[in-house]
Amino acid sequence: GTTPLYPSPMTPMTPITPATPASESSGIVPQLQNIVSTVNLGCKLDLKTIALRARNAEYNPKRFAAVIMRIREPRTTALIFSSGKMVCTGAKSEEQSRLAARKYARVVQKLGFPAKFLDFKIQNMVGSCDVKFPIRLEGLVLTHQQFSSYEPELFPGLIYRMIKPRIVLLIFVSGKVVLTGAKVRAEIYEAFENIYPILKGF
Amino acid sequence: MTGRVCRGCGGTDIELDAARGDAVCTGCGSVLEDNIIVSEVQFVENSGGGSSAVGQFVSLDGAGKTPTLGGGFHVNLGKESRAQTLQNGRRQIHHLGNQLQLNQHCLDTAFNFFKMAVSKHLTRGRKMAHVIAACLYLVCRTEGTPHMLLDLSDLLQVNVYVLGKTFLLLARELCINAPAIDPCLYIPRFAHLLEFGEKNHEVSMTALRLLQRMKRDWMHTGRRPSGLCGAALLVAARMHDFRRTVKEVISVVKVCESTLRKRLTEFEDTPTSQLTVDEFMKIDLEEECDPPSYTAGQRKLRLKQLEQVLSKKLEEVEGEISTYQDAIENELESSRPKAKGALANLTRDGSVEDTTSSVFGEDDAEDEELEAAASHLNKDFYQEILGSGLSSSSEGAGDPDGDTRPPALESLLGPLPTAASLGISDSIRECISSQSQDPTDACGDGELDLSGIDDLEIDRYILNEAEARVKAELWMRENAEYLREQREKEARIAKEKELGIYKEHKPKKSCKRREPIQASTAGEAIEKMLEQKKISSKINYSVLRDLNSKGGGGLQEEDAQPEGRTATRKLSRRKTPARRHRADPVTGVGKRLRPMVSAQPAKKAAAGEPLPLSPSTLGAEPARPTAVLVESGPVSYHPEDDPDEDDPDEDDGEPCVSALQMMGSGDYGCDGEEDDGY
Repeated sequence: GTTPLYPSPMTPMTPITPATPASESSGIVPQLQNIVSTVNLGCKLDLKTIALRARNAEYNPKRFAAVIMRIREPRTTALIFSSGKMVCTGAKSEEQSRLAARKYARVVQKLGFPAKFLDFKIQNMVGSCDVKFPIRLEGLVLTHQQFSSYEPELFPGLIYRMIKPRIVLLIFVSGKVVLTGAKVRAEIYEAFENIYPILKGF
Repeated sequence: MTGRVCRGCGGTDIELDAARGDAVCTGCGSVLEDNIIVSEVQFVENSGGGSSAVGQFVSLDGAGKTPTLGGGFHVNLGKESRAQTLQNGRRQIHHLGNQLQLNQHCLDTAFNFFKMAVSKHLTRGRKMAHVIAACLYLVCRTEGTPHMLLDLSDLLQVNVYVLGKTFLLLARELCINAPAIDPCLYIPRFAHLLEFGEKNHEVSMTALRLLQRMKRDWMHTGRRPSGLCGAALLVAARMHDFRRTVKEVISVVKVCESTLRKRLTEFEDTPTSQLTVDEFMKIDLEEECDPPSYTAGQRKLRLKQLEQVLSKKLEEVEGEISTYQDAIENELESSRPKAKGALANLTRDGSVEDTTSSVFGEDDAEDEELEAAASHLNKDFYQEILGSGLSSSSEGAGDPDGDTRPPALESLLGPLPTAASLGISDSIRECISSQSQDPTDACGDGELDLSGIDDLEIDRYILNEAEARVKAELWMRENAEYLREQREKEARIAKEKELGIYKEHKPKKSCKRREPIQASTAGEAIEKMLEQKKISSKINYSVLRDLNSKGGGGLQEEDAQPEGRTATRKLSRRKTPARRHRADPVTGVGKRLRPMVSAQPAKKAAAGEPLPLSPSTLGAEPARPTAVLVESGPVSYHPEDDPDEDDPDEDDGEPCVSALQMMGSGDYGCDGEEDDGY
């Protein structure tokens, strides 16, 4: 990224948290809603074979070059590419994501490919929570200009890009907050703990 | 009088003569500066006899066509393109801005934004029109003009969200924080379009007041400002006895009818709506409402909680009822005859289906428990459909079905492909065995850890033969077109391969500009260049090193001469790349290390040095026109050169790979001029 030239000198936001006593009392824990992970099955795959012999697979080569497979438990969707790489989305926890990815790998194995399970990595985690009081977004965008972006014409929520940890938060007037961009669960909790006192001030 | 100090005498009295262009100390007379750059106007004579001033007009915004000193080939090209981009952008900004009726100041600011965007390479990969529109909208926001993003998207016929994305990116990259939109800005504009005549001002005032009230009631956060304006204007119009229908308002304000209605109902929910017109104009209620989305959310939460409480209560009651039911049924069963044949079959089939569907995923013991629980909870449901005697028989039927379950499973799984039939039994065994050997190291190994995965469940996801055939047929039909295209493409490629003209379209690698080599002598430059380019082993490095040694002796002279020749050739090459067919002996014999010629930095460094040598080499040249030199290097297309080329060093039988090509002269875009080959 580029080093931004701040048009107006503002205090950085992170040091706000430690001093205020209100930070302890946020008894709200964000719930994880979606986890995106990738894994390498380690072998080339024939997508046509997979699509034609799996019950839960769809493959439309004209539109997208991957097989879309779904399983019911845990309820997830996977994109399987011919290079052997796979993306698994929709799980609600890290363990579930791993289990789902393994199930997909097992299906591919049973269809006749020597699938392995290399480099499982969680790429993105999405969480949401409710602070239970309305938030004045215009005020927030005035004081936290460098981090917030609020365009009511385009999107009803305020997009807050926290720098440490590197998380994007969507803050809505009804008090609901969506946090995304985390690689580990702790980042989501930390981000929420950081934003809660700021939001209380509005 | 520059105020400088003379170097000779230390005096400060320095005379500057602008016409002669020098600075002289009046004390000792030493010239301090010569050839000073002057800014006088000079005149030249035209062909017609008149005189005109010497000079060029340089435009304010475009790049001046300054001649770059030195290797300006690429830099020149880049500047041209950048200037063109800016010019193009300026033109488009003016065109679009005039349609929006923006003043000149705004357009200039927009152009500045555009220049910034171009310098940060934000125009790459984006349509120019989008970037222009984003710049213009940014100006509108910072200046506070009542232009919406919708207007721009109307003019350009582009999706407003696409424009919005570009705009957000631009604002973020340029670190410009556009202030949030105030709906009050749009009121005058829309009021004018709604044609209120003389009462325009009053209606606008009322609408503004309404808007402010809405703001205090938290209705405007997160909403499109145009929708709020529409609602406010509608109410204000009605308050001043103007009949403006919803349709008229939405055609001006550009929101959907349902949005407008929703805003109106939300406003209705606020206590302010209860006031009369006069009261509203005078009184300002103190209390503020919560935003509608918040109240809606709270209501939903409350409903959900109520539901939960109710269902819990229901369960308790159900539990009580079921105990009574059990007692009653036991009594009935003992007193009632066995269920009739048809009904029993029906129930049996029904329960078989249930069990077979559940058998795939669950263990036997679990299944029984689940069945019992399910039947227990749904007792009243069954009763409603099939009579009270059914539940007992289904429970009873559950147990015998448990015994029949294993054979049913096999019969169903029979047609499924087994591991052996697929031929992957080995790999599966390997997977499972390796997993059992290293259960902890499963992830490190890359082997699939099968713990927690139920094989039966996985098998459910694989089709059997018949199903696979049907699916294949359907899929082929769906994707027939695509398959046909693929086949045609392959056929085309195969044909081209046969003809030998198959060109594989690899993604183009952009040519990397290398840093110019800093070196003090030609030899150093050559060495550094060789390091950089990692030339082949076929070059005789010892000979290369000997190049630099000067002095008497035939051999050394010979060395010096080729160097000189190469140097002069380098010079000539630089100046006249296309003129290879000169009958110039300089470019003739002696192409040792001709490949060196392509290296520009070496050229530059070497050019200066051997210049003095060239006159001497020229003299020496005619003395030995037909000397047979032991050469290594390719031949150029000079007719006099052809006879005596002997290449012990580099002749490896390959026809067209010259050292020049190996060193990649193509990098410099000078492909055309140097196709030296055999």
